[in-house]
Amino acid sequence: MTRQEIIDELKKVLTPYTEDKTLLAGINEQTNMIKDLKINSANMVDIIIDAESKYDIEIDFDSAEKMVIVGSCIDVIMDKMNAKK
Amino acid sequence: MNSTGNDIVALGQTSKERTLDRRFYSQILSASERSLYYREEIPGLPFETFVWLLWSIKESVYKFQRRKQPDLVFAPTKITIQEINAPAFPSQVDLDAFHWENKSADRSSHFFTAVILFENKIYYSRSIVQDKWIASVVDKDDRFENTCWGVKEIEHTDHSSQSLAVREFILQKLSLVLPNHPGDLHIEKDQFHCPGLSSNGKEIPIPLSLAHHDRYIAYSFLLETVQPTVY
Repeated sequence: MTRQEIIDELKKVLTPYTEDKTLLAGINEQTNMIKDLKINSANMVDIIIDAESKYDIEIDFDSAEKMVIVGSCIDVIMDKMNAKK
Repeated sequence: MNSTGNDIVALGQTSKERTLDRRFYSQILSASERSLYYREEIPGLPFETFVWLLWSIKESVYKFQRRKQPDLVFAPTKITIQEINAPAFPSQVDLDAFHWENKSADRSSHFFTAVILFENKIYYSRSIVQDKWIASVVDKDDRFENTCWGVKEIEHTDHSSQSLAVREFILQKLSLVLPNHPGDLHIEKDQFHCPGLSSNGKEIPIPLSLAHHDRYIAYSFLLETVQPTVY
């Protein structure tokens, strides 16, 4: 998967946790999920679990803390997907 | 530089089924913290509520420390709850009266209390656990003598309404404890998204923390850094 394809998929993961859906149209690798998308921090664990299920990966604690920035989130997902190969 | 940190969790916005999923709670609690649940000091608290209680304490510690370390990232498993105790005399909190604020007569025995270790420093917390919400506040001093905190139920749950309501709530309290301040009090976030208090464009050195989740808003602030003669 390309980084853009992961962003497109990630938007679907973030949709239920984003109050203002219009913000999702503008996300890029610098987007901070809490500050820019106004996602409640209590939903960050939901997003990690949803990403694990969607990509059939396991996200460890050290990786989980990077997930708040979209670009870092893509790095984690790609690393974990490559590690499966 | 001193600080404060608080958090509120609207339990209606959490999923019991998901919280009880080992993958989920393992992102929040360590094995040693899970063992705290089975000690007799925590009677009658559902495990899913315990998970969110520890979450709110950890988030409060993170917000306390982030004021000093703006690049800090919230990693719940790196914040260790070493000890937690249930209240001997739980506070009677009735949000039908629309809000709750701490009073000087409040004792630690009214709250869940915890001792927390994070980056070689010890923190203390006080929490209220209700059917619909959990509120926590953190300080470096276990007496909490200078910490003011409050919780309020609001009607509108969109982000801008929550943000406006929590600012009005804390400013109402601050205007009472700072009766002689010149000009209007304002709250603005700095470049690192930490809220700060100002009046007439001048910063007032009172650390404060704001939280909102669904229909609940909460604040904390610390008064010990204020020099009364300035105001």
